[in-house]
Amino acid sequence: MSSATFPLPGPLPGLALRRVTDEADRTARDERWAGWMQAAQQGDSRAYEQLLRECLPLLRAICRQRLREPAEVEEAVQDTLLTLHRVRHTYDPSRPFRPWLAAIADRRALDRLRSLARRRGREADLEAAEHVGVAGDAEARLLSADLREAVRELPASQRTALQLTKIEAMSLAEASERSRMSIGALKVATHRAVQSLRRKLGGER
Amino acid sequence: MKCPTEELVSRLACGLRPVRRLPSPLVLLVLWTVFCVAVVVLALSALGLRQHLLRDAMDRVDPLSVVAAAAVALLSGLAAFQLALPDRDRRWALLPVAAVAGWLAVMGWGCAGDVARLGWAGMSLGVDLGCLGFIVGLGVPLTLVILWATRHAALRPLSVAALGGLSAAAFANIGMTLIHEESATAQVLFWHGLGMTLVVGVGTLLGRRLLQGAAPADGPLSSRPG
Repeated sequence: MSSATFPLPGPLPGLALRRVTDEADRTARDERWAGWMQAAQQGDSRAYEQLLRECLPLLRAICRQRLREPAEVEEAVQDTLLTLHRVRHTYDPSRPFRPWLAAIADRRALDRLRSLARRRGREADLEAAEHVGVAGDAEARLLSADLREAVRELPASQRTALQLTKIEAMSLAEASERSRMSIGALKVATHRAVQSLRRKLGGER
Repeated sequence: MKCPTEELVSRLACGLRPVRRLPSPLVLLVLWTVFCVAVVVLALSALGLRQHLLRDAMDRVDPLSVVAAAAVALLSGLAAFQLALPDRDRRWALLPVAAVAGWLAVMGWGCAGDVARLGWAGMSLGVDLGCLGFIVGLGVPLTLVILWATRHAALRPLSVAALGGLSAAAFANIGMTLIHEESATAQVLFWHGLGMTLVVGVGTLLGRRLLQGAAPADGPLSSRPG
């Protein structure tokens, strides 16, 4: 080996040194993050922003272990940030910050992976519907068997709301009277039905 | 131009408000226990019980079954408060397993004693709707309280809800045991067990709805379509 023929420091001591330095860096970083999180719990928004920015590469790395597509990774990171924000009062400064953060990120990435798998499962069932775009004439699309199938899969309340307000074009008051659903519930059910169809038929999310 | 994630960071940090740190799981368990004991005592006194309830109960009730139920209540409560925190090991969910097995063993032993004493008639399952009503009537509101106390459970809402429901049901069960008319152990085991199962089931269903508030809006527990 080259390190045997040349008495210069070989690659191994260098690596070991780097490992020690990395370890020290990581410890210092963990302590810094724990301090920032503690300050954030007391309302220090600068510490909080610094903390979140510094955490982003770690969050992306954790989410990337579960998800391949960069857009999904980014969504999982955003889910993590939202969860972290909502449960920031549960962090106990006497414990290390990184496992707390990593548990949230890993779980949100897993959740996104599961929802992705469910979405893909549905898309596979509806492959035949792929040619049906979201743009275009509503009545023409309603004639499509694929769309009928997708409508049939909706929960009953959403199907009724869609039928009355969009297909039979009733006013909300008429539809409410016919379906015995409140106007608010009708609006929500219609909106959800449209979102669901858009998603199922390959439209934007 | 900032990417959406960085914009989100700025938005979250902007106008950040201080938060009160959550007490430790042990402190929460103590508060929860004090609350449940107070509610059970109130419920018992509201039912117009005799003054010497406890003394009478001591003569009638197998203290082991109360100790086992108390262990279930405390350990499942502690497990719920631990699991509600993101960085706790998921094996906390196993904490009450031994206590549940102990409670079942104590009741099973009681059944065996009844059979030895009374023959197979000791295994008869009379209808005991009052007991069921008490456990469910007290257990479900208590479950709502522990769900509220663990509303920050963003990562494992179902386990937290089920364990919280079990703890609430076990506290309600202790209350019921203290006032139970003398009856065959098999009957107690069946109706108390059914009541506790119902409470845990309701707790889990409610937990799915109520604890989702801690998950992001687009999470799998969300009610949004898709």
